[in-house]
Amino acid sequence: MANRRACIIAGGMCKWGVREASYIDMVQEAAKECLADLPTLKPKGIDGLIFASTFVGRRSCQANTAPVVAERIGLKPTSICARVDVLCAGGSTSILMAKGLIESGMAEVVMVMGGEKLYTPERWQVQYDEIASVDHDWDGPQNVGPPPLLFAFIAKDHMRHYGTKREALAEVSIANYDYGLNNPKGHFQKKLSLEEVLTAKDIAPPLGMFDCCPLSDGFAAAIIASEEKARELTERPLVYIRGGAQLSLHSVTANWPGDHLGDWPHLRLAAQKAYERAKTGPGEINVAQMHDCFSISEIIEVEELGFCKKGEGGAFIAEGQTRLGGRIPTNTDGGLLSCGHPFGGTGIRQAIEIMKQLQGRATNQVKGAVMGMTHNLSGANVEHTIVIYGREPVR
Amino acid sequence: MATKEIGIPFLEGRYSPTLDIWPIEAKEFNRIYKFYDHLREGRFTTTKCSECGYIAYPPRVICPECYSDQLEWIDLPKRGKVLEVVEKWGGLPLCFKPPLISAWIDLGKESPLKRLLSRIINCPPGTLKAGDEVQFVVFDVPSHPIEWGQERRIVDRVYFAFEPVKK
Repeated sequence: MANRRACIIAGGMCKWGVREASYIDMVQEAAKECLADLPTLKPKGIDGLIFASTFVGRRSCQANTAPVVAERIGLKPTSICARVDVLCAGGSTSILMAKGLIESGMAEVVMVMGGEKLYTPERWQVQYDEIASVDHDWDGPQNVGPPPLLFAFIAKDHMRHYGTKREALAEVSIANYDYGLNNPKGHFQKKLSLEEVLTAKDIAPPLGMFDCCPLSDGFAAAIIASEEKARELTERPLVYIRGGAQLSLHSVTANWPGDHLGDWPHLRLAAQKAYERAKTGPGEINVAQMHDCFSISEIIEVEELGFCKKGEGGAFIAEGQTRLGGRIPTNTDGGLLSCGHPFGGTGIRQAIEIMKQLQGRATNQVKGAVMGMTHNLSGANVEHTIVIYGREPVR
Repeated sequence: MATKEIGIPFLEGRYSPTLDIWPIEAKEFNRIYKFYDHLREGRFTTTKCSECGYIAYPPRVICPECYSDQLEWIDLPKRGKVLEVVEKWGGLPLCFKPPLISAWIDLGKESPLKRLLSRIINCPPGTLKAGDEVQFVVFDVPSHPIEWGQERRIVDRVYFAFEPVKK
C-alpha cells in the first residue's frame, strides 16, 4: 500500500443561516450539492462516510447518527461509517481521518460531511447548549461555554501586550464580509463599514456583534478519494492532502499553555507539525482559510501560523495583507464571520474553498495558487487543527 | 376542558444532567466529591500525587504524570490579583443574569495553580479593574434529586467563584 495518496475532488454546501429545515433535510441538500460538483460519481460509488456534528445529539436528539445519515443520502458504506465530535474542527478532522483510511488502503472514496442544526424551536437552548462545549464541571459554571467571554479576554490581553487597536479588529470583519459578498451560500452578504462595526451592539467588550461569527444552521460535504480513483473520476487538476496536525495541550482554561491569553503556543506547535508533514512552510502557502470565529482570532492566527511577526497581526490585516493581492489572501469565501459557523461544517467549507482555489475555479480567485491551508480552533481554544493542500503531492 | 399542556409536562421536579450547568457532586456519582465537601468548609483544594509529587488541577482520581492512584488533597491559594476583567451583558445562558463579571486571575508565583478564569460575584458592575485583589467565595447552587437503590433524596450543592477584597 506504499505511496497511496489522498485527494479532495469535489464538494458542496447547502445554504447556511437560520434555516427552515431539520438537520437531516440539510444533510440531503449538502450531499446533492456535493455530487453535483462531480457528475461522474454516484452515491453507490462512495464506500465511506465520516459525519462531523457535535450538537446533533443535544439539539436533534439523535445519537449514532452516521447510519441515519448514510441511509437518507443513499450510501451503503463498507469501509467506514462513523460520526466524529471535535466541535469546530469536526470537518477538518474528518478529512484527516479520511486521508489516513485512504492512504492505508482501507478506503477508496469517502464522503466527509459536517454541520449543525443549532436553532431549536425555543431560542433559549441555542445559547444554553453552549454549556456543553467546555469542560463541564470546571469551566461550565464559570460561563466559559458561550465563547465571546474567553475571546474578549484574549482580545484585551493582545491589546495590552502588543498595542493592538480596536479598529484593527474591525478591519478583519470588514475584509471577511467583503469576501462573503459574492457567496450566496453564506449566512450574510453584507457590506460593512468601520463605523457600523465600532458602534454595533456590545457582546462582550471589546467584541461587538460584527466581531463575532453568528450561530448558523448548515451542512457541507466533500469527497476524499485515492489518487487512482480521483484520476478515474475527474479531469480537473488534482488537489492533494499533503499533511496536517491536530493538537490539544489543555482543556480547562486554568491550564492555558501560553504566557498570556494573546500567546498561542499550541497553535505554533500545530503549525510546526503540519508544515513538517506537508514539507512546506508559510512562505510557500498562497491562500488560507483561518478560524475567524472572532475578529481577534484571525489577528493571532496570521502571527502564530508564521505569516507575520508576533504582535503585528492587527497591522498586517489592516494594511490589506489578507485581501486579494496581499501576502496571504485569507477566508476568501467570507470565513466564519460572514458564512456563519455550523461547527462541523466549517472545516469542510474551508476545504472546498481551498480545493477550488487550487483548481483555479474559486469566485475570489487567488492567481496561480498551488498551495493552501485550513485552520480551526475548537471549544475554549483547546484544540488546533491544520490541513495543508497542494497541487503537488509530498515527495 | 383540560388545561392545554405545553413543553414536556412530566419533567416537573425531575432532573436531567444535560440541562445542568453545575457538577453532579454527590458521592454516589462522583469520586472527587471531597472537593465539594472542602468547599463547604471554605477550602479550595486539589489533588497531589503521593508517589511523584505532581499537583494536578482539576483534581483527579489518578495522577496524570505517573498514573498512581495514591493521591492526597492540598489547599490552593484563596487570594489572587486580577489580570483582566470582562463584563458580559448579552448572550448569557438562562442560568445567569446580566451583567456577568469575569476575571482572569493571577494566583501568584508560589501557587501550583498559577491562573484561573472565574466569575466575580458580590461586585457592582464597572468597579473591578486589573490589579485589584479578589478572594475565593463559596455559594449555594440548585440541589437535585438522586435515586440510589430504593431511596430517592434531595442533595444540596455548592460552587465557588471570587469576589473583590474590601479595601
